Amino acid sequence: MKRLLPVALVAIASPALAEETRELDSHEHGVGELNIAIEGGTVAMELHAPGADIVGFEYEAESSEDRAAIDAAVATLARPLELFVMPAAAECTVVQASAALESEEEHDDHVGEHDHDEDHADDHDHDKEHDHDEEHAREANHTEFHAEYTLNCGNAGALSKVTFAYFGAFGNARELEVQIVTASGAQAFEVERNEPTLDLRGMF
Amino acid sequence: MILRLAAASLVARGLTVGMTVLAIGLSVALFLGVEKVRTGAKASFADTISGTDLIVGARSGSVQLLLYSVFRIGNATNNVTWESYQDLASRPEIDWIVPISLGDSHRQFRVMGTTSAFFEHYMYRQGRSLGFGEGVVMDDLFDTVIGHDVAQSLGYGVGDPIVVAHGLASFTEHKDQPFQVSGILEKTGTPVDRTVIVSMEAIEAIHVDWQRGARIPGQTTPVDQIRQMDLTPKAITAALIGVESPLQTFSLQRAINEYPEEPLLAILPGVALQELWGIVGIAETALLAVSVMVVVTALIGMMATIFSSLNERRREMAIFRAMGASPMAILGLLILEAILTAAAGAVLGLGLLYLGLFIAQPIIDSAFGLFLPIDPPAIREALVLLAVVAAGAIVSMIPALRAYRLSLADGMVVRS
Repeated sequence: MKRLLPVALVAIASPALAEETRELDSHEHGVGELNIAIEGGTVAMELHAPGADIVGFEYEAESSEDRAAIDAAVATLARPLELFVMPAAAECTVVQASAALESEEEHDDHVGEHDHDEDHADDHDHDKEHDHDEEHAREANHTEFHAEYTLNCGNAGALSKVTFAYFGAFGNARELEVQIVTASGAQAFEVERNEPTLDLRGMF
Repeated sequence: MILRLAAASLVARGLTVGMTVLAIGLSVALFLGVEKVRTGAKASFADTISGTDLIVGARSGSVQLLLYSVFRIGNATNNVTWESYQDLASRPEIDWIVPISLGDSHRQFRVMGTTSAFFEHYMYRQGRSLGFGEGVVMDDLFDTVIGHDVAQSLGYGVGDPIVVAHGLASFTEHKDQPFQVSGILEKTGTPVDRTVIVSMEAIEAIHVDWQRGARIPGQTTPVDQIRQMDLTPKAITAALIGVESPLQTFSLQRAINEYPEEPLLAILPGVALQELWGIVGIAETALLAVSVMVVVTALIGMMATIFSSLNERRREMAIFRAMGASPMAILGLLILEAILTAAAGAVLGLGLLYLGLFIAQPIIDSAFGLFLPIDPPAIREALVLLAVVAAGAIVSMIPALRAYRLSLADGMVVRS
């Protein structure tokens, strides 16, 4: 139901916004996405995880605890080697790491502008007053943490296994859908909480 | 000594034992065959396309896009406009891009419009390029390159004229613009074998006098005039993309998926193949389960024959006992017989499998594009055979134990 809500709201709001392109990414609580691209010694990774997985809520941070939780999560997400543990033999070091909390419409940087949208439990009531708004479906209020990493591995051939301490750090995350691209092709894996390792042999 | 006895005893009951061996052999052949088809199909699948980093088409599902763009199964929901294609092609991340245009057919084979870059970049079986068996890449507007199966089943050679039909199952043919075969590709075991390849411009050219799926009556543009026309395609069905560096694959994929001007979908072929296999894999597991059940049935059949033979052989057993054989020897004899039967069945099954493979391989290859390699049995197959023999031994223990108990009590006199 949670996933249908934004779609329904977009449908309600549509007559007023007939000329815009409307799009929403799918959003499933408990399931994040991790993309890994490897070329030579460079490993590029991007993580998309629902706010619910990382901090346990997806409304805009109001209390200082909420904000602290988000800050702590961003700080944790910015240390990729502690979340995705690579074998020591691969000699991986972090070249660049960034993490941020983004709301669903990342294209228009209006996050934080909608303070009046306080109670997201009765968001249907807000529909009408939002028609004049240039934005739409803000009520959905799904948030995602996005992180991007670049690693440099002295011996990428030794990347035989990745251990996902990620699930230990974020108690609400159930699953990561991992896609890996190397020179030899692309492959998809599902890494779940109860078996948090990824076997990369055969990808090189 | 006991081995010779067991063998002689089996030979003496040749017909029954032969039937049991045949049943086990057939079931083993079926099991190994299913296993072979399963792994062959999976490898064949994964080998269909390699070296392509992304496939782009109209937004639908990744499996659907893969099916129509690579396997030529089903149809595109939408086309991709030429403008979007140009936009994509000019992106810096792109190393190469090959457009594909589908929708016409020649007899039962699909016609695909593309550029000559297709022959350079389309790869199969871990990076093998398409090779020409005869002829060359199309050069003229009305040249076509045909796949191996097309040439085989329609008997075409280089230089033969062919006519392309409009739409897929239609009888209206583009009669005015006959194409000429300029090249025949080598067998690949991929859907390319069953494809007629023409240039993108040729796809436009054959539709010059057509509107809304029907001929414009009385209008035929002479071929010479068509050659003068601007034949830039208006739309393509899909495109194959190679990226400069794997590191850019995901960002390019996202950029295409979020392309604001047109709903597009970019997929990673390897991942989509996996997804597709995940769907097909259920049937595959069911097939495997059924063939396991057949093996089990054959083994139970063997148990039944041993049971029924116990009565006939009661006197025989008693004689063995009288001659000094211990009850354990009787037990061993029966189990050994069962092991020999199962082993004979397993070997027969293996033989049947290879016989079947030799006969069926070319047929399956041409009919389904599924290449089943004839390899010597691998460890996996050896383990299966061993498992069958072991299962035979275990199953035979039940009648053997019965014989053991009977032989303790039975005298030489058969009571009736």
